Parts: sequence; structure tokens; C-alpha cells
Amino acid sequence: MNVVDKIKGQLSSKKLIGIIIGIFLTWFIVAFLVYPNLNLLKLTFFADGRLSLEPFQKLLHSSRALKSLLHSVVLAVSLVVTVNIVGIFLVLVTDYFDIRGAKLLRLGYMTTLIYSGIVLVSGYKFIYGDHGVITNFLVQLFPSLDVTWFKGYWAVLFVMTFAVTSNHVIFLSNAIQKVDYQTIESARNMGASTFYILRRVVFPVLKPTIFAVTILLFLTGLGAVSAPIVLGGRDFQTINPMILSFGQSVTSRDMAALLAIILGVFTLLLLTVMRKIEKGGHYVSISKVKSELKKQKINNKLANAIVHAIAYLLFLIYVMPVIIIVLFSFSDSYSITTSTLSWNHFTFDNYAKLFTQASDFKPYLVSIVYSAVSAVIVVILTLVVARILHKYNHKLSTVLEYAMLIPWLLPSTLIALGLIITYDSPKLIILNNVLTGTVWILLIGYVIVQIPFTLRLLRAAFFSIDHSLEDASKNLGAGTFYTLRRVLLPIIFPSIMAVLALNFNGHLADYDLAVFLYHPLFEPLGIVIKNSSTDQVSVDAKAMVFVYSVILMIISSLTLYLVYGRKAK
Amino acid sequence: MIEFKNIEINYGNFAAIRNLNLEVKEGEFFTLLGPSGCGKTTTLRSLVGFVTPTSGSIFVKGADITNVPVEKREISMVFQNYALFPTMNVYENIAFGLRVKKMTKKQIDDEVRDIADKVDLNDEQLMKKVSELSGGQQQRVAIARALVLKPSILVMDEPLSNLDASLRVQLRKELKRIQKAFGITTIYVTHDQEEALTLSDRIAVFNKGIVEQAGTPYDIYNYSATEFVCNFIGDINKLAQPVLEKINLQSAKPFDLKKAAYVRTERVHTALKDTGKDFIQLKAKVVDIEYFGLYTKYAFDIDGAVIKNIEKEDGMTIYSIGDELDLYLHSSDIMQF
Repeated sequence: MNVVDKIKGQLSSKKLIGIIIGIFLTWFIVAFLVYPNLNLLKLTFFADGRLSLEPFQKLLHSSRALKSLLHSVVLAVSLVVTVNIVGIFLVLVTDYFDIRGAKLLRLGYMTTLIYSGIVLVSGYKFIYGDHGVITNFLVQLFPSLDVTWFKGYWAVLFVMTFAVTSNHVIFLSNAIQKVDYQTIESARNMGASTFYILRRVVFPVLKPTIFAVTILLFLTGLGAVSAPIVLGGRDFQTINPMILSFGQSVTSRDMAALLAIILGVFTLLLLTVMRKIEKGGHYVSISKVKSELKKQKINNKLANAIVHAIAYLLFLIYVMPVIIIVLFSFSDSYSITTSTLSWNHFTFDNYAKLFTQASDFKPYLVSIVYSAVSAVIVVILTLVVARILHKYNHKLSTVLEYAMLIPWLLPSTLIALGLIITYDSPKLIILNNVLTGTVWILLIGYVIVQIPFTLRLLRAAFFSIDHSLEDASKNLGAGTFYTLRRVLLPIIFPSIMAVLALNFNGHLADYDLAVFLYHPLFEPLGIVIKNSSTDQVSVDAKAMVFVYSVILMIISSLTLYLVYGRKAK
Repeated sequence: MIEFKNIEINYGNFAAIRNLNLEVKEGEFFTLLGPSGCGKTTTLRSLVGFVTPTSGSIFVKGADITNVPVEKREISMVFQNYALFPTMNVYENIAFGLRVKKMTKKQIDDEVRDIADKVDLNDEQLMKKVSELSGGQQQRVAIARALVLKPSILVMDEPLSNLDASLRVQLRKELKRIQKAFGITTIYVTHDQEEALTLSDRIAVFNKGIVEQAGTPYDIYNYSATEFVCNFIGDINKLAQPVLEKINLQSAKPFDLKKAAYVRTERVHTALKDTGKDFIQLKAKVVDIEYFGLYTKYAFDIDGAVIKNIEKEDGMTIYSIGDELDLYLHSSDIMQF
């Protein structure tokens, strides 16, 4: 009997697969989730083998860096205020008060879900920017208006307020639906007015959700990338654009790393606070027969008219960029240059070019490949982990779960920088290969940042399966893998497809991570769209951005419909 | 057929089962009865193989199966919620175990249709999604899925608990019919004493991880071995000491005043044609009436102690609160522990 046979005899195939999976997961976690981030810390504070606070000194002496920190905090705080005001108003309009056309309004307010990030920022810039439709209109009214009015702090705040409110609305809308209508009826029965009920009965129920989304908003503000880069101008740059700027030079990489670490510490602190709030729990209706929320009429006619007017004004702000992007995608170069619309300049040429010219289609292809491959890899990886967590409940599985959630605690900038700095020279852990500057590093980056969301969804899907189904399968004679293949996976298949679609969609127009990790010969869509948002590019490139954006909107709408729309029916 | 020998099952410091010794005969309908958390389901799961005993052995037909994996035991289980696979239709659910056994398509089809016929599932129902079936139909699918493998033992974990009262009674009969038709040894878990009494050939009453009594339904009911069993099964009166003292004045065989004494409610009579030997007569007053339709439950006061009885609704016996009358009970109906 040779050695292989001996080992075979000692190990069952199940154990062997278990060992291989264990080794692979340990390698993956160490190589991509732990080591790059620790290495970043080491290179920042222990560059010469001993603790050095030099990066702090450099930071304190850099007015640009300090300003960017201040700007990020200012943006985060402002965003908390503006998004809460707009978000709560939108939820009240669509879910709480009886407003005419509420369904249409909701559809309008949700448009930012189909074109987020760099696409949205570029869209807003096209409307409100130097030669934008709105700017042209305003200049006709006020000839002395500076055409570069839409930049800096206010422009960033304006765009980000509308960009992130949709998510805010989804959370709050879910929370408001949980208000037991009988509590409102009983308050009314005791003589309370509409606004008193809103303040004393409804808002307290929403409070925990508002706190939680406020923290997420703060993090969004701190981590802003696209909006400050495109609209911030020289005077309003925040942490992430500064990290990007410092990261490009070897001499200031330590500053970039320190800024990324500071952002990471902020994120950790705020997420800890959020966990505490979540642990505090949400209010749960104690009614045995909970009744559905009915929309409240605003009895005061003036108040009703004002609410309607603001609701429709916000609707216009939301839908205008979408309509204008779609219209200009069918316009020729004259229309785009002059920001005017006319039937005479209507054309399908832009779309035709996308599908006939390889150079125009290439960014799409690059993004589709990156998004699809990373989505598939991350789903396979997290399926294995989720199954381990579902099946085994011991210390090692807890360690595995926490390790896989590391990217949730770290901003993507920090993850990107860790990968770039760590793998810019051959490292044994990746078989003496270099990743920085290769096409692989962006793929790895996408996989890493998608892990926490995917794991949380798939873990929840596994844990929602009735345990007795697995027991029944075994009782009927099926083995572990047969049970997994024939019973468990078919049950969670819809969740797998949903998370695949969401991950694919989420990175199709990504800019924030791509800007750090992309390969210059394989520019993804996000980078191309951002580059086309400057005035220096050709009008053809601008036209192509409209086409890219419209197709992205269609893909996003389809994805969202397939994942959420059909469920809602 | 089945033998549990010195079984102990511990979860950390908690002893779920303590020194369990039980035998189940071939073809028997054997019920494990007890309140929640008493260890009946743990015992059942140890037989199926989902739980490994901390010590002791389980034998089936003389073979020790204590460490045999679940999928190799050939013991089929019907789960409390039926555990039908939601992504498969009825046919595929029943065929699942046969496919695992790698039987041919033809064999699978024959077996599935044969068992479906026996449990009254028609061709149309076979092609339905399991979610489209009623509770009763789902139960029949679960039983068919278990029986199609021709197991030597069938185990059922509270299979009627998810159904409404009238369907429960109807399916109880169905279960009994199927079990008798197949002649399969069946272990049944329930906390419902009525289910246990009507279905079982024998019952084991569990309490806090031990078997208090194992026997026929008649013996368990009429000759309860422990205070727990007599309290758990049926409706019973605990006789207060002053009442027992009065009884002792009339009884040929005096009862021990230091021990608990019980008498079942239906063994307390309000009228007797022939008082006969050893019937004890007690003066009582009606203090409460609960009308159930088929019968009425009366509460009587005897020197400050309360005794209840039930009277069949025969249209004759109607008492009112405050009525004074004599109660009769036979000394042999009094159980002492």
C-alpha cells in the first residue's frame, strides 16, 4: 500500500473536501482580508521597524489634508440634516399623508435607485453644470449669473442629498408601515390632531430607524468619492479624493494610508454605535390583530397645498436628470454641445455606435465581465461559508463569520489602498506574484467588498430553512451533499439569484473602487463616465455617456424589478 | 423489536433522558406521552439517529443501532410540520427516498402510485405543489413519503398538532387505519392524552426525562402508577384531608391521611340506584356549573373542600347553584400515592 492509498484510507472523501475548503478559506481570509490591512497599518506606523508618528506630523502640516478631513465632517453633518429633512418629508408624502398622485411621486423619488454613483453625479453636472440645461435657463433669466455656479460644497451637498435619499426612504418606509394603525385611531379617539399624532405616536416608532440611517448617512458623507471629485472643485475636496490624490505618489502614500485609517476608525466607531442602537431594539406592535396603516388627510387647506407643492417640486428635481439623460442620449452633437433639444436633432446614431464600434462597447464589456465574474465568485465563496455557519455552531465558525465581515467595517478606500500597497511586490502568500497594476486586483477588490452583504443575505437564507427539511432528507436516506444539492440549494435559489443580480448591478458603473484599482488598458464604465464629465472631452464621448447611462438605468430597473418588484406583487 | 437499554441523554449539565429502559413489540402502536420538555421527542430522535445517547444502547431486532447513521437506519419519520420539500411537487416528495436508493424510473413510478393509492392521494394531487394541499393532504403525503421506503419502523412526532380540532379527530382514525393496514411498528409522540388513549396499543408516560409508567391505555388511566400519571391523564379530584377523614369513617379499608388521594371526576356520582357495598356517601352543595353540551361539570363544596364531577347530558339531571345533595364514590376508585 503506497502513501497515497494510506492517506486515502484514513480520510473519507467528505473529510478531505472539508480540509481543502478549510485551507482555501484560511488562505483567502489571511491573504485578502487580514494581511493587506495589517500591512497598511505596519507600513504607516512601523515603516522603519519601530513606531513612527511621522505620518501624523505630515498630516498636521498639510493644510490640504486637514481641510479634506474638515470638509468630510462638514459634509457628513450637513448630509445628516438635509437627507433627514428631505427623506422624512418624502416618506410622509408617499406613505403617511393622503397626497394626490402619491404612487407617481414615489416612482419619481425612487429614480436615484436606477442610476447611482458616478452616473448620477455626471447627470446632475450635465443639467446644473457650466453649460447645463438649467444653467442656460437661469442665465437667460439672470444674465449676470456665473455659469460655474454649480460647484463646491453646495453642489456636492445638493447632489448627495438627492442621491442617497432613496435608501433612506426605503428604510423609513418599512418602519412607517409597521406603525399599528389602531394606535393612531386610539390617539384620534382621545382627541389628538393629525400633527400631534405624527409627533407623539408615529415619530417615536420611527426614532430607532432614523438613528440607524443617520449613522449610515454620516458614513456615506465621510466616504463620498464621486460627488466631491466631479463637483467639489479645488476648494471642496474630502477625504477619499485626497486619499486618491496622495495615493498616486510614492512619497505621500503614508498620508493616504493614514487618511484611510482615520476613515476606518470613524467607520468602526459609528458602526459600533449603530449596533448598540440596533440591539436596543425596535418598537414592536403588541396588538394581537395589527391593522394596516391608512393614509391621513391634512385637514388644513393651506398646509395641504404647501405639502403638495413641495412634493411635486421635489419630484421634478428627481426626475429631471433621468428625463434629460434619456432625451440627450437620442440627440446629435449639436444638441449636446448647445444643451438644446429639438426633433431635428433626434438620432439613433449614439446607440448604433455603441453596438457597432468596439472601442465604444469595450468599457461596457469590461464592466460586465468584472461585475459578472466577481458576483459569481463572491456568491460561491459565501455560499460555502454560509453553509458552514448554518451547519456548525462552534468557536471556529464564529471566527470565520467575523473574519468574513471585516470588509463591512472598513471603507473601500482602505481596502483598495491595502491591496495596492501590499501586493505591489512579489509576496509568498500569493505565490510570489504581484497584483498591483494587473487586471486581477480590481476583481479581487470587488469580491472583497461584496462579501459582507452577500454573506448576510445567504446566511439569512440558510437560517430561514426549516431544520426538519434537512432531517427529513437524511431520514429518507440522503447524504450531506445530496441533501445540499437537492433540498437546501433549490430552496435558497431565489436568494442566490437575487444577490447575484444585486451584486452584478452594484458594480456595473462603480467608480469609487475602480478609480484605485483599474487597469489602464481595461477602463471600466465608471472611469469612462467620470472622464467624460469634464469639459475637455469630445462631444462624441459625452454622447456615449448618455447612452451608457440609459442602458445602465434599464439594467438597474430590470434587476430591481426582478429582485423586488415581483416579490411585491 | 425495539429496545432502549439504560439510555442517558445529556445536554451539558442538563439530563434530558435518565436511565431509559423500554421495549416495543413488533407491529405495536406505541406512544410516548408527556408534557413539553419531558424528553419524549429526544427519545424519538435518538431512535431515528438525530440524537446520540450519552450512554446506553438502542437495539432494533436485536441489532445495536446506537451508532448507525440516520440514513442507514431504515426508520422513517413523519415530522411535526411534515417537512415536505417546498421546491418539489407531491410526486417528487414521495419519490425522494426512492431516488436516493437509485431505483429505476419505472420502479419509482410504480412504488409512488401504489403508496399514493393506499393513502388516498389521486393522480391530480400527485402533481400538485405541496403548498397547494390542505393540512390533511399534506399529512398523507408525509406518511406516504415515509411508508414508500418500506421501513421496519415508522415514527411520528406530533403529526396532528398543526391541525384544527375536527380534522385532528378525523385523521386520528386515518392514522390508525393506515398503521393497522401496513402492520408496521409505530412510535408516536404526543402531549395530547386523548390522542394517546385512542390510538395506542401501549403508552409510556414521560416526566422530566424518566418514564413514569408504561402500559396499555386502560391500565394507565385506571391504574396510574404515580401521582404524576394520574394527574396528567384525565380529569381528577385531589381529596382534601377533611374529606378523606370523612371517607375513612365509612370505608372498610381506611386511607392513609398523610398520602395524596385522588378520584376521577366521572367516578363521583350524584345518584345511585343501588348504593352497594363500599360506596361512600358525602353531603355536598353545588357551587359552580360548567356546561359543555355533551356533559356538565359540577363543582361541590364539602366542608370547605371542592370536589368536581361530570354528569352526562341526558336531559334528566339538572342541578342549580346552592342545591344540596349526596355524592357517592367507591373506595376502590380512590388512588393513593
